[in-house]
Amino acid sequence: MSMKAFGPQFLERIYREKVVLSLSSVLGFIFCWYLITDVLGLIPALFLPSPEKVFFTIYEKIFIPVGQSTLFGHVGVSLLRILVGTTIALCLAIPLGILMGWYEDLDSVMTPIIEVLRPIPPIAWIPLAILWFGIGLGSKVFIIGIGVFFPTLINTYMGVKFVDPILIKAAQTLGAKDKDVLREVILPASVPLIVAGIRIGIGLGMMCLVAAEMVAASSGLGFLIMLGGDNLKPELSITGMILIGIMGLLADTLILAVEKKVVYWKKESQNG
Amino acid sequence: MQQDKIFADHVSVAYEKDDESLLAVDDVTLSIQEGEFVVIVGPSGCGKTTFMNTLAGLVKPIRGKVFMDGKQITGPSAERGVVFQQFALFPWKTVFENVEFGLKYRGIPKDERREIVRKYIRMVKLEGFENSFPHELSGGMKQRVAIARVYANMPQILLMDEPFGALDAQTRTIMQEDLSEMFMMEKRTVVFITHSVDEAIYLGDRVIIMTARPGKFKKIINVTADCLIPNRRNLGYDDVVNLKAFRDLKRELWGLIKAEIVEKRIL
Ligand SMILES: Nc1ncnc2c1ncn2[C@@H]1O[C@H](COP(=O)(O)OP(=O)(O)O)[C@@H](O)[C@H]1O
Ligand SMILES: [Mg+2]
Repeated sequence: MSMKAFGPQFLERIYREKVVLSLSSVLGFIFCWYLITDVLGLIPALFLPSPEKVFFTIYEKIFIPVGQSTLFGHVGVSLLRILVGTTIALCLAIPLGILMGWYEDLDSVMTPIIEVLRPIPPIAWIPLAILWFGIGLGSKVFIIGIGVFFPTLINTYMGVKFVDPILIKAAQTLGAKDKDVLREVILPASVPLIVAGIRIGIGLGMMCLVAAEMVAASSGLGFLIMLGGDNLKPELSITGMILIGIMGLLADTLILAVEKKVVYWKKESQNG
Repeated sequence: MQQDKIFADHVSVAYEKDDESLLAVDDVTLSIQEGEFVVIVGPSGCGKTTFMNTLAGLVKPIRGKVFMDGKQITGPSAERGVVFQQFALFPWKTVFENVEFGLKYRGIPKDERREIVRKYIRMVKLEGFENSFPHELSGGMKQRVAIARVYANMPQILLMDEPFGALDAQTRTIMQEDLSEMFMMEKRTVVFITHSVDEAIYLGDRVIIMTARPGKFKKIINVTADCLIPNRRNLGYDDVVNLKAFRDLKRELWGLIKAEIVEKRIL
């Protein structure tokens, strides 16, 4: 709100400057890449293809299938996997985290199990996931789900556990019963940490996605990356990497936008 | 015989800390009558907040009992509203929603709630800020919201824990005057905690001085009953603090508190 004091033009200018800087940094990066591959020829194309070769590959694969589908097909499959995996994980992690934070008995029962399972890297589950769910959608969803599940669970739990006790006391002395306190105080107060947990979770989920697709898949961006390596076509790997990067960036932007919407009540400085 | 509004009967409160028991309030007995403004003053860390939390039902005594209207207090209740030193506003709720909070649990219909909320927002002079969020308000405004929130909820007892402690001197003076005015407009039973001697004498019908930890009651001064400062409630803060009666009383109280601080070496 205090930002209004600077006037919209001022803000706009800052914003424009920021955009210009970000854009030039991306272009600069691509230019350096162009310089060391095409112009100076420092690195053979077999190790690092030039940017225009990569862009051409991206363009070409939009129309010509790699494996079973075109580029959009692979992006779509990866997107589906991450969406399903994330959705299931969030539906389990958030309620469980809230309940564990609220009921001490459940906390005592669950914590030992979670503390043992949590440090296991999600990709260590790949063999079991394939055994249990085959090499279709199921195993990828499972791996991604594990990646998303634990950070979200832990953050939700912390969010509930560390609500400022003074707020709970205030609610109680205003006549709120336990269920009212949970709904009106605990839940809203823990939203910032829950959202932060989802953000970490989805980041980890993307890594799990690629790992799972590299090991056991015939589609998806991880598969493209792996295929590029197998066929000595690094431009294909880089294509997959760029698209994963863009997907991650979009996911992060989306979550940040959601965060801004739901955490409107925090001081601007705290909001980052 | 009129029943005590609040009766604390030989109350002791302790905290467990690293396997040690820390006695915060030691064998305190107090009765408060309906409509009384009681101020508890004492050096910091002496157990004022602890005692007030016991009255609120937020802390359980290890010995003794606390009663309200003859019924033992066993937990928090909307009948004993609390204004906390740290404001304790719900940051995700607007000023209006904060003030409305308790009314929902009283089963008051929406239209009526709106009227009540408006009335108390006006009373604490915050009209126009209904839709602001706490982070957009100054400290004094936040505490006004907290006071409106408690007043609107119609508790029988108002417990205020150093409500103006975090405010600057000017804001504090204005808040004290406004509170005094509100107290006269709507007579409530108030227990007010402070470590400011001036504030205690200005506001309290009865001023209780606590000893350093473990907190006991050292002395009780009946400012209103003994008519120590005539006509106090009709005067502004500056006028009151310049009265000779005020200064004499202040000297006496400050002497008692200073003795506590020096004697127990809590500096
Ligand atoms: N939750 C707590 N756990 C342990 N010790 C506490 C707790 N709250 C207060 N105390 C201790 O009890 C004593 C009295 O505290 P408090 O009632 O807050 O004093 P005051 O409000 O007069 O400053 C202090 O020594 C303080 O450190
Ligand atoms: Mg205190």
